[in-house]
Amino acid sequence: MSKRDVVLSVKGLGRSYGPAVIVSGFDLMVRAGEAVALTGRNGSGKSTVLRCLVGADTADEGEIEICGRPLDEDDVEQRRDLATVIDDLDFFPDLSVVEHLDLFARAHGVPDPDEMVDEVLDQLQLIPQSGQLPGTLSSGQKRRLALASAFVRPRKLLVLDEPEQRLDVEGVAWLARRLKAEREAGLAIVFASHEPVLVETVATRIVEMGAPADPADADAQFEDQ
Amino acid sequence: MSKRRVRRSKPKPPPQAPAATAPSEDPLEILRARARKQAQELDALPDPAGFVGDDEGDVEEPYEPELIDLMKGWRHGRATRRLSEALSDGYVAVFSLLVVGAMLVNAVISAQRLVSACETAQCLSARALVPIATLLAALALALAVSRLFGPVVASAAEGFWLMSAPIRRGRLLGGRLVTVLVATFFGSAALSALLALASGSDWWSVGLWALGTGLGATAMVAIAAAEQGLDRRTPTRVAVAVFGAATVAVLLALVAQSVGWLHLGLTPDLTHRIGLAVAVGGFVALVVGVVFAWRRLNRIRRVRLTSGGALVAGLSGAMSALDLGLARDILIERAAIERGHVRSVRGGPTGRKVLTDRARKQLLRHPQRLIGVAVSVVVPHAISALGLPVLAPVVGALALFIALVPTLGELRVLTRTNGLARTLPLTTAQQRMALMIVPAVLAGIWAVLTVPAFADWGGVARGHNWFDAVQVAVLTAAAGLLGAVRWVVAKPINWNAPMVATASGALPSGMLTYVVRGVDMVVLITAPMVFGLPPVISFAIAVIVYIAMLGYFDIEKLQKKQAQQMELAQQAKSQARGGSSAPKPAPGANPQRRKKQRR
Repeated sequence: MSKRDVVLSVKGLGRSYGPAVIVSGFDLMVRAGEAVALTGRNGSGKSTVLRCLVGADTADEGEIEICGRPLDEDDVEQRRDLATVIDDLDFFPDLSVVEHLDLFARAHGVPDPDEMVDEVLDQLQLIPQSGQLPGTLSSGQKRRLALASAFVRPRKLLVLDEPEQRLDVEGVAWLARRLKAEREAGLAIVFASHEPVLVETVATRIVEMGAPADPADADAQFEDQ
Repeated sequence: MSKRRVRRSKPKPPPQAPAATAPSEDPLEILRARARKQAQELDALPDPAGFVGDDEGDVEEPYEPELIDLMKGWRHGRATRRLSEALSDGYVAVFSLLVVGAMLVNAVISAQRLVSACETAQCLSARALVPIATLLAALALALAVSRLFGPVVASAAEGFWLMSAPIRRGRLLGGRLVTVLVATFFGSAALSALLALASGSDWWSVGLWALGTGLGATAMVAIAAAEQGLDRRTPTRVAVAVFGAATVAVLLALVAQSVGWLHLGLTPDLTHRIGLAVAVGGFVALVVGVVFAWRRLNRIRRVRLTSGGALVAGLSGAMSALDLGLARDILIERAAIERGHVRSVRGGPTGRKVLTDRARKQLLRHPQRLIGVAVSVVVPHAISALGLPVLAPVVGALALFIALVPTLGELRVLTRTNGLARTLPLTTAQQRMALMIVPAVLAGIWAVLTVPAFADWGGVARGHNWFDAVQVAVLTAAAGLLGAVRWVVAKPINWNAPMVATASGALPSGMLTYVVRGVDMVVLITAPMVFGLPPVISFAIAVIVYIAMLGYFDIEKLQKKQAQQMELAQQAKSQARGGSSAPKPAPGANPQRRKKQRR
């Protein structure tokens, strides 16, 4: 895949919960080597968009294509291309940290899984916890494990929902550097974040959710108020 | 009146301007600089308040019964139920008890009619072992449950507000211990009586063994409470294993006795004497256990009390929603937290086989899961030995269903949330197939070992010939396996969907079918065999169930696809008419705007 290939294409995405319209007419195109940050206040629809992108939620309207194919959560190729860290990640209660990563790496056919797993464990400072079961990890360590599960496997598109959550300062800094390096290596990234440092370091484009569609609309809204 | 010491805030030096340094692009440096700036800003603020010192003066010693009365008073004061509502609920409870009781009595009479064929000395001797097996199982169960919960528990609120106070915990917890002991006595005695009646025992035997089982199980709970006071777990764990193994041994003896390999010669008179001895022994153990437990109540650590309370709260929530899967998840999570750490096992195949390999490794890590499967092998033999061969497929499949659920733990995790399944490059069907292989192998072994139970074997069973027996054994194993898979992969109750009005109030649609999931498949596949229909019917049903279990018949997905197609058709019609059916966003909705384009 060339660097400028379209990895994600979203057209006219809409999602409502009853009468409450959360997202409407959302368009997005992300190419390889691009990182798009979704920002905006709580409830502006960032997580809803991300959940729709990965198939965790179903959009009421619109089209989503990943690597040129319509989104299908059960499509093996898409599962191979799409790495996600959103709020619905679960863990096997009786598999240790390192066994989780070993399972993901081997399931994805990583050529040298042991080396890859050790490297990611080291980078995320999870080596002391490698034998621990997930239930005994702190919330920050669980977050690191979730991130590690995305980095231990091949991917073309990375979707992250507030990845900085529960990470310490060093963790956020490491994540920013890592995501920047991933983007520069050709990975497409879409992430929602409230952390300005992460957004400034990683994003090539920022989409502010909940903002008026254009200045004229904004003026009209101010006049209405 | 207590004195308060107020710490005066010292005058703060004026905030210094940060040293002028070259702006860094390193995210860590940016974050640290921001943190330094925020700290300086906070440092410049005055202290919000003083703090309470430790010289509070004389404190009255608390009197625990008063605290209990106080809590009762609060609860009564906040009662949200009127007397008429309480009476109505009571009426429903009594009515339900009567209905369930009538069903049980009917089941007992039917079972006794069936086992009236059991007249030989061998069969009668085998039947005499049923109360002994029940006793041992009740002792193991009572100890296991006690070890899991406490058995003495306290809620998180009580742990925080009361247990941290200088009170004698024994006075608060004594009532709870008594409640648990009484509930255990009646529960285990009722279980023993029910099984003894169903197996055709006489009334004197039923009464003696119910008393003995009740006292024995209650003694085990008291001993577990005494161990809780010493914060020990190992003795109860060992005792559970011993009683569990003894139960299996008695069940095997039951089968061996009915087949004629063993001659215990248990007469009704001897059974009565053993029952009496058990009752006396149980009473003595109960008295000793209660004395020790009572003396150690003050020593139970707060964390042991509240962790059991949290577990009770979690399980109560799951059970109030009739979500047995969630209840099991809570227990599994709890066991994993208790274990905390494992010796990791890495390596193995790649790709699709990795899930099967992991399931195999998990079985080796938890070999105790095989105990359940081993016990379930005995069940159809025991049922046939007791003169009920017609019920052997149903009961055997139910036993295998229960035994196989723990071997499907990985499948359960992959099903309960899509997040983990999405990280694996396999379709839902591939994942399910990969994780069914290990339990399927176990079910195959189970089928081989249970063939004799379904044949005309031992002179008791009015069963089938060997060819039929093989077919019945395989289909029974398939029913157990598919029932377990169905139980594990069932989607949880959707509380957001519109509810259905019933006589018991609003219920989420599918709640009642959710409770019997798994069991329905077992009954569906084994029912034709029970009614003497050709096995090919059961085989056809099993194949259909298997395809459905792989996720090819996801009704929810099909409904979504249908709705999308209908919407598209509607839009096409509207466009043909020159209008647009696209829903308009509500006023004030969130239009998006690309704010910034960089690089």
